[in-house]
Amino acid sequence: MILVGELALWIALLMCAWSATVSFAGAKLQRGDLVVSGERGLYAAFGFIVVASLGLWTALITSDFSLRYVWSFTSANLPSVYKFAAFWGGQAGSMLFWCLILALYAALATWASRGKNRELMPWVTGTNALILLFFVATTAFASNPFERLEWVPADGRGLNPQLQNPAMAIHPPMLYLGYVATSIPFAFAIAALVTRRLDAEWLGAVRRWALVSWVFLTLGIVLGMWWAYVELGWGGYWMWDPVENASLLPWLTGTAFLHSIMIQEKRGMLRKWNVTLVITTFLLSILGTFITRSGVIQSVHSFAQSNVGHWFAAFLILSMVASAWLVGIRLKDLEAKAELEAMISREAAFLYNNLVLVGIAFSVLWGTLFPIISEAVRGSKITVGESFFNSVNVPLGLVLLALTGIGPLIAWRKASVANIKRQFAGPAAFGLFVGAVLFALGIRELSPLVAWALCGFVTGTIIQEFWKGVGARRRMYGENPVMALMRLVARNRRRYGGYIVHAGIVILFAAFAGNAFKAEHDVTLRDGETFTTKDPYGREWTFTSQGISQFKALNREVQAVTLLPTREGKPLRLLSSEKRQHFDTQGNPQFQQSTEVDIISMFRQDVYLVFAGAVGDRAEVRINFNPLVVWVWLGGILMAIGGLIVMWPQAERRRQGGYVTELAPQHGVLLETK
Amino acid sequence: MSAIGRREFLAGLGGVAGSAAVIALGAPEVGAQAPAQQNFGPMDQSVFRPTIRPAKPGAAPSMTVLERDALEKRLKCQCGCILDVYTCRTTDFTCQISPAMHRDVLRLVEGGYTGDEILEAFVETYGEVALTSPKKEGFNWAGYFAPAVVMGTGAVVLTVMIRKWSMESRMAAVAAGAAAKSDSTIDATAAASADELARLERAMRDDH
Repeated sequence: MILVGELALWIALLMCAWSATVSFAGAKLQRGDLVVSGERGLYAAFGFIVVASLGLWTALITSDFSLRYVWSFTSANLPSVYKFAAFWGGQAGSMLFWCLILALYAALATWASRGKNRELMPWVTGTNALILLFFVATTAFASNPFERLEWVPADGRGLNPQLQNPAMAIHPPMLYLGYVATSIPFAFAIAALVTRRLDAEWLGAVRRWALVSWVFLTLGIVLGMWWAYVELGWGGYWMWDPVENASLLPWLTGTAFLHSIMIQEKRGMLRKWNVTLVITTFLLSILGTFITRSGVIQSVHSFAQSNVGHWFAAFLILSMVASAWLVGIRLKDLEAKAELEAMISREAAFLYNNLVLVGIAFSVLWGTLFPIISEAVRGSKITVGESFFNSVNVPLGLVLLALTGIGPLIAWRKASVANIKRQFAGPAAFGLFVGAVLFALGIRELSPLVAWALCGFVTGTIIQEFWKGVGARRRMYGENPVMALMRLVARNRRRYGGYIVHAGIVILFAAFAGNAFKAEHDVTLRDGETFTTKDPYGREWTFTSQGISQFKALNREVQAVTLLPTREGKPLRLLSSEKRQHFDTQGNPQFQQSTEVDIISMFRQDVYLVFAGAVGDRAEVRINFNPLVVWVWLGGILMAIGGLIVMWPQAERRRQGGYVTELAPQHGVLLETK
Repeated sequence: MSAIGRREFLAGLGGVAGSAAVIALGAPEVGAQAPAQQNFGPMDQSVFRPTIRPAKPGAAPSMTVLERDALEKRLKCQCGCILDVYTCRTTDFTCQISPAMHRDVLRLVEGGYTGDEILEAFVETYGEVALTSPKKEGFNWAGYFAPAVVMGTGAVVLTVMIRKWSMESRMAAVAAGAAAKSDSTIDATAAASADELARLERAMRDDH
């Protein structure tokens, strides 16, 4: 199976080359047979990549250490789930995994368009095949997971302990699913540019793919935050690491696109901008991969570095130049009559929303690359850390949060003063009320206070929109509130799914603001000693050491400290943080010691214990009170649910918000029927 | 495989063209696979350099423990872990750099040095890379201001464009209305709503 897998990878390479060549030739020569052959070539490439992937999985599960990849990233005593997940735990395997997802998406995109978009599809198939060709070639030539060792070791080197975490089994696939999905809109954009079919047709085809990418990126980013929080042991979930930033960049431009696409659909404007956003999102996903794998920027994700950075840089430059050239020669075709009736309109709010999203993307990219720029200009190295990113992005984030509430309140085309007063009164009052209550409770820190007041405002907006919608349905159809709410969302998934995403954003921002009140305590405890402190809510906590224990587990030796926490005298469950030293089956130590934190998660705050190490019989621990962290995960989940609702296919007859709009010819009037 | 340096990377970029040529000629060479995973956390424990200054005359500790911890969050651990000194030393006992840097901070605090003086001392030892964020001076201002400049410029350009588009839109509406009135026997305004008439009137007034 392993040999078959390796062979399949090389055949897939040929299939991609074939598919790209005949698809482009078929489009150029108007030869239907070549176009069909190109599509079949892509399906075949997908099939062969599946076989190659099964080959690698077989090698991983059966611990075939004759493969360098299996030897490098697994050991015989590694739990099976992590052997399976080791597929994407290292460079070469993750490259093959990328190929697998890309081939799947490309095949799906081709299959889904088999009866439509016929002018675009040969170019879409060809572009997808070309991108796939790059990835398969990089995998086969520069980072081949089937490379063999000259001898067969008795055991492997094992998987990095910090990758032996359930989040790591699903976080990279989610991110890859998001990153790779940006290729499909990119392929459609290239096809639209080449064929000059730059109307709304190609947008309709890519909207769902853009949503697929957005939902998976959202899940991937949030899972990555969770992994960093529970595994890295530094007590936070976002450190503005270059690789974290790299995942955020396409998410930001993708979010901008999902908003600006509405303006092109409704008003025919922003053609250039939308094409640029689609291309930029794809290029940023490649840039992110390049940053992760090249090692040119220091990152916690250094496990994935190798020489493929050069390949990605070359591909990135080529893609950038080719896309810019194509957009340049089609500028006239991208001209659209701009019709915007007023500054105070939803269109204008969406444009400012795009500005802020792209502005944040720029500031994150700038901060990520600034150490390189500074070194090139001044010759000295610098670090751009959390305080830089926070100082730039916190104000922009607050503006974005405000726009999240403002946009839906303003009417399309033009808002009258009366409309603004009527729409803003409730949400603004609610936001001010929240701010005033928090101020009265003693909160004086400006950023969290503003953030929570704005969260109140946006929450008011969302509640108002649902209230009005449900009320309208109840009046018209006499439905009970629950049924009205469900039907409201079901009949206009795009709008109300979007509001659910906004609700997730609100929860996320409220949780981020809680970070300002984080409390850290650096404590040394002997067995039986107690540490007493107050949490950010002013409640008294005691932590009594139950001592340091040592024991052996599956593939590791563990040293653990256990504390008994009490809150206002009431005991909670034991907290136990570990230092782990992993061993292979021969008893040789693998990797450096790793830390396993323990967390008591509550809605108000997390109590976070880190065992830094033992000095004699004393345990050095850090105890953190991290307010509202659980809401970060809940907000992320809600955003993904909202995205799924927006993405979910809707029956054609219901696309007019629950009505079919049709012309009654004999009367020349519009009829609305349920 | 160790992290690739930027110079090595740029040199290697040129080699990609060569690699591509080799591939095109059908003589592929399997690239060097990363031989090992790198661990997170400390990578190079040999980079520590002492940061020592003589205590000031009659020195007393210059800050509280909380202020010292906050100061250590502005100092980057030099082991390669990307954490600050405080977080690294309280998270990972395998790192020997952050505890050593912490001891230097303790000595400087007890020697009466202020926060800024301590940061400057570390910059003299390790270079600006000792700080978690660049100093606000010289070229570094470009780092701090570029996002604001780009955002500001973008906001101005966008506002001007929206104003221009809305102006053109109103003028087009007025022109269309006038043309309809002159070319047709139908009174265009007769079918217009009160709101549309008011907007038309305002647009005409604004144009004057």
